[in-house]
Amino acid sequence: MEFLTAISITPFVEIADSPVFFAEVAINGLLTGVMYSLVALGFVLIFKASGVFNFAQGIMVLFAALTLVGLMEHGLPVWLAMILTVGVMIALAFAIERLMLRHLVNQEEIILFMATIGLAFFLEGFGETLWGSNVKRLDVGIPDMPLEFGGILLSSFDLIAALIGAVMVASLAIFFQKTAIGRALRAVADDHQAALSVGIPLKTIWIIVWSVSGMVALVAGIMWGAKSGVQFSLSLIALKALPVLILGGFTSVPGAIIGGLIIGVGEKIAEVYWGPAVGGAIENWFAYMLALVFLLFRPQGLFGERIIERV
Amino acid sequence: MDNAVRDLSIVERRSAVTSTDTTSAEDEAEADGAPGVRADRRTIGGELLSVDDISLSFGGVKALSHVSFDIREGEVRAIIGPNGAGKSSMLNVINGFYHPDSGAITYKGKTRKEMRPDQAARQGIARTFQNIALFHGMSTLDNIMTGRNTKMHRNFFWQALHVGPARREELAHREKVEEIIDFLEIQAIRKTPVGRLPYGLQKRVELGRALAAEPDLLLLDEPMAGMNSEEKEDMCRFVLDVNEEFGTTIALIEHDMSVVMDISDRVLVLDYGVKIADGTPDTVRSNQHVIDAYLGVSHGEN
Repeated sequence: MEFLTAISITPFVEIADSPVFFAEVAINGLLTGVMYSLVALGFVLIFKASGVFNFAQGIMVLFAALTLVGLMEHGLPVWLAMILTVGVMIALAFAIERLMLRHLVNQEEIILFMATIGLAFFLEGFGETLWGSNVKRLDVGIPDMPLEFGGILLSSFDLIAALIGAVMVASLAIFFQKTAIGRALRAVADDHQAALSVGIPLKTIWIIVWSVSGMVALVAGIMWGAKSGVQFSLSLIALKALPVLILGGFTSVPGAIIGGLIIGVGEKIAEVYWGPAVGGAIENWFAYMLALVFLLFRPQGLFGERIIERV
Repeated sequence: MDNAVRDLSIVERRSAVTSTDTTSAEDEAEADGAPGVRADRRTIGGELLSVDDISLSFGGVKALSHVSFDIREGEVRAIIGPNGAGKSSMLNVINGFYHPDSGAITYKGKTRKEMRPDQAARQGIARTFQNIALFHGMSTLDNIMTGRNTKMHRNFFWQALHVGPARREELAHREKVEEIIDFLEIQAIRKTPVGRLPYGLQKRVELGRALAAEPDLLLLDEPMAGMNSEEKEDMCRFVLDVNEEFGTTIALIEHDMSVVMDISDRVLVLDYGVKIADGTPDTVRSNQHVIDAYLGVSHGEN
């Protein structure tokens, strides 16, 4: 009985008690959500353009952050290190196309997926060999000061990170929906052979997509790395992107954004208000449970392309 | 020996086409009995594409062995044959999906060992597929727009910015696509995701996507398969209109014999990857090898 009260009454009483605190929790959740969206976006890009679920996306986040920190440790200024890291991610895209994707044209999706698992292991080892495996601090000069808006306490870092994420997400959404390359990307995702037959150069498209998702990984790596240090666990954030994708739909850029926000807000609120009743750590599993419920009722996600099959 | 003779005749024919004016090419076509059964205002030109002694195998299976034939500008060329005869393989060789083990392909006067799909597309070869290969999540309009891909000249950077010249270019392409939509009478489904369309309409959209590239050579892999007679009639009309109005050269694979005999100028017959006949519908129809291949011969007689 006590437990029932704790989960069904107390949280709402608390919310009603202090709406300002509730707003603070929700907004903090939103800001974290933007970061989830960023990681999820990397997945969506590659999935849209090559139909591959890129298992290595999380490692790419880590790899990008490691490269950036490593370059900065060598005494390079932040801006130069960033430009160089972008270069490295583009070079990586070229290498992935040349050494991996080119040989797997028209193969089953599961084979491409397996290849990305291999890529994940390779990048993890390669990154650690190059830059070492100890936890590194990343400071790119974004100020982290507490700000107060009408009694709501926010971190300036989170706010700036969210802003950068929002700009990035908006431009990518336009890129995909409105431009000719966006259409070519979607075409490649749909049918390799048909795309080839209308003269879309598969190789160029893949390089573009992997480069862009490398850059998204870099931004995500900077934000998360500056927050919690650059270390292996960074790549596990990618796991959080999974429920985001299930929620938003694997093929939808707006879906990745909304999905990320819902999960960010949802898990924060669940943790703060329902956490005490079940002994905390809701943040660790809330997203997955939400995804499970979604899978039951809307398997294509909120915005995913409807799965249409004529029989 | 046989091959050598054939090679020689191809060389001669090509030199005749390039060195003299069109009349001689026409004369020559007439000499071959090529102008076909359709009395019309088209002019069949010189050789647009010729494949020469093409062989292709998958593991131990020979899909094509030593096949040679040509396609002339402006004609409707049919490829027929029983299932597994290598018809689709032939189209795939022409647009570069398959790379032949040996032989050469001459397209627009340039000889090469194999084509590459995106290259073929850029040089004016468009195609449709036996099992419709459309972009299912996209609308009819977007699908046909992808066909304009080879005509887009602004580089990726401009397209990404989606401003100024790139935007104007997009609008110009849009206009062309609308023309094709009108031509194929599919205005009503412009915005419908193609995955939702019935089979016959999907085939039509696929033809539209191929037409959007304004191809010189259009490859149609069973454009009328699985259609009812009314849809077949429509499709026939479109194919003929494309050929007559746009002057597009067409190579098509089709199983419906009455259709093939009606619309094609020349027919190539394959069986087990080997060319068994090549000529006008009438000569092919009366060819004993063709009759055997279609009706079957008992091994005792053989």
